[in-house]
Amino acid sequence: MNGIEVDEALLILKIAFIVLLYLFIWRIVRSASRDFRTGGGGAQESMIIAPGRSGESQAASVGPAPQTRGRTRARLVVLESPALARGEEIPVDAAPVSIGRGGQNDIPLDGDEFSSARHARFETRRDGLWVEDTGSTNGTFVNGARVTTPRRLGRGDVVRVGQTDFRVDL
Amino acid sequence: MPYADPYLLPLAALLTAIGVTTIYRLEPDDAFRQSLWVVIGVAFFAVALVVYRHDYRRVERYKYLFGLGSLVLLALPALPGIGQTINGARLWVKVGPLQFQPGELAKILLIVFLAGYLRDKREVLAQGRLKDFGPLLLIWGAAMLVLFQTNDLGSALLQFGIFLAMVYVATGRASFVAAGLALFLLGAAAVYQVVDHVQQRVTIWLQPWTEEPVLCAQTGEQALRQDCGSFQLVKSLYSIGNGGFGGTGLGQGTFTTTTGDPIIPYLNTDFIYSAIAQELGLVGAAALLLVYMLFVARGMRVAIRADDGFSKLLAAGLTFGFALQTFIIVGGVLRVIPLTGITLPFVSYGGSSVVANFVLLAGLLLVSNRANAQHTLR
Repeated sequence: MNGIEVDEALLILKIAFIVLLYLFIWRIVRSASRDFRTGGGGAQESMIIAPGRSGESQAASVGPAPQTRGRTRARLVVLESPALARGEEIPVDAAPVSIGRGGQNDIPLDGDEFSSARHARFETRRDGLWVEDTGSTNGTFVNGARVTTPRRLGRGDVVRVGQTDFRVDL
Repeated sequence: MPYADPYLLPLAALLTAIGVTTIYRLEPDDAFRQSLWVVIGVAFFAVALVVYRHDYRRVERYKYLFGLGSLVLLALPALPGIGQTINGARLWVKVGPLQFQPGELAKILLIVFLAGYLRDKREVLAQGRLKDFGPLLLIWGAAMLVLFQTNDLGSALLQFGIFLAMVYVATGRASFVAAGLALFLLGAAAVYQVVDHVQQRVTIWLQPWTEEPVLCAQTGEQALRQDCGSFQLVKSLYSIGNGGFGGTGLGQGTFTTTTGDPIIPYLNTDFIYSAIAQELGLVGAAALLLVYMLFVARGMRVAIRADDGFSKLLAAGLTFGFALQTFIIVGGVLRVIPLTGITLPFVSYGGSSVVANFVLLAGLLLVSNRANAQHTLR
């Protein structure tokens, strides 16, 4: 009689132990995958060191020009705009790309009355694509939040300049 | 370490706890010693975190020292006087009452060296000229030589895997990995022809059971192989099978004969996985592997997020080493690959292993702290 009770207790303890073990794993998986979705960002982040990255360039002089193979280029896709065609894709290279009303910009937004003459600037740094507001009146927004300091963009972020919406493709 | 990865430490703690619990169940005396080693390991861990809290990257300047250090550590057991041969492998060092396996720490030093060296030379290496590989192959070749000298095949396999993975991370060229694997297969085939020890391991792996008595290398008599060379592996497989789906429950497994002798030799070091698989069953053993997978996934994420080449290589190397070590021993115990004695990280009984793994954990936390801080503060 006593032996059976001990066995039952052990069985319950065993199951409880296994359940707790899996609960721990489950909590970590859930919490860690949330971290992957929000804080992750940036398809340029890779295991493999991108060839020819700045800050590691001293070896670049030894061989041929650093290759850009395997490095995806950032693009802005027009979602909605009074000035640009919807679906147009604008590549962003290492050189900063300025955007605003008027021809002096790399991306001119003639016809978008809510954009400023010099509105914002996109820039590829070594850790990804960044956007910076260059003193616009109506502001630059990333996913609805106004940009006050330079901000790094993740894949799928929506940038609003005046009445123009871009989706970030990395 | 406000920005360090929040999951690595709890996962390591869980693994350590499972390890100490299992060792306590098997050999209470060993569990006490293991706890002492955990304390020493945590002390190393804390010292590493405090010393390098500002910038761990200054170790990069001493990369050749690290490379040399790892070679010296690897060669220590081969020295007469302090070297100890246990179970046919000469990988122990005994100084007074203290006995340790320097190979475990050598692994970490080698990773630091490779991270520093490959970051420096990766652009040149990516061009694939053989002479640029010179110093690399030299140190690596020396490491291999020492490992074969000491019969430590598990470590040789581990170091080679780490080497290939880090070259891949540095250059991004899969052809290097393919060439390395081809070289490895050639080397393995050659070693198989020459070294008796390796032939035995492979035979045990492929045919652990025989129906006719064969020559037993240990005793020189005729015996069934399951009673001789593959005794340990076969008993371990029975042990895992005995666990079934749900396991026997902690403390309920059978690890000794009716006379009290242990059934499986080296149960709490190399074969601790089969003890856990018996007492916790498939469910528990799978949970253990899941914990390892999570640890590796987090480590790889640290490597992905790290900004500079040295940190990326360091995190990738440490994580890959951890993953490969787990695979080699669990795969060996489960008869997926030939068995080579190596410890299961954080779980197996063994002082040097525990200390080395805590140092490895400190390295990953330092890299993740820096990487996450940069991402957050920008």
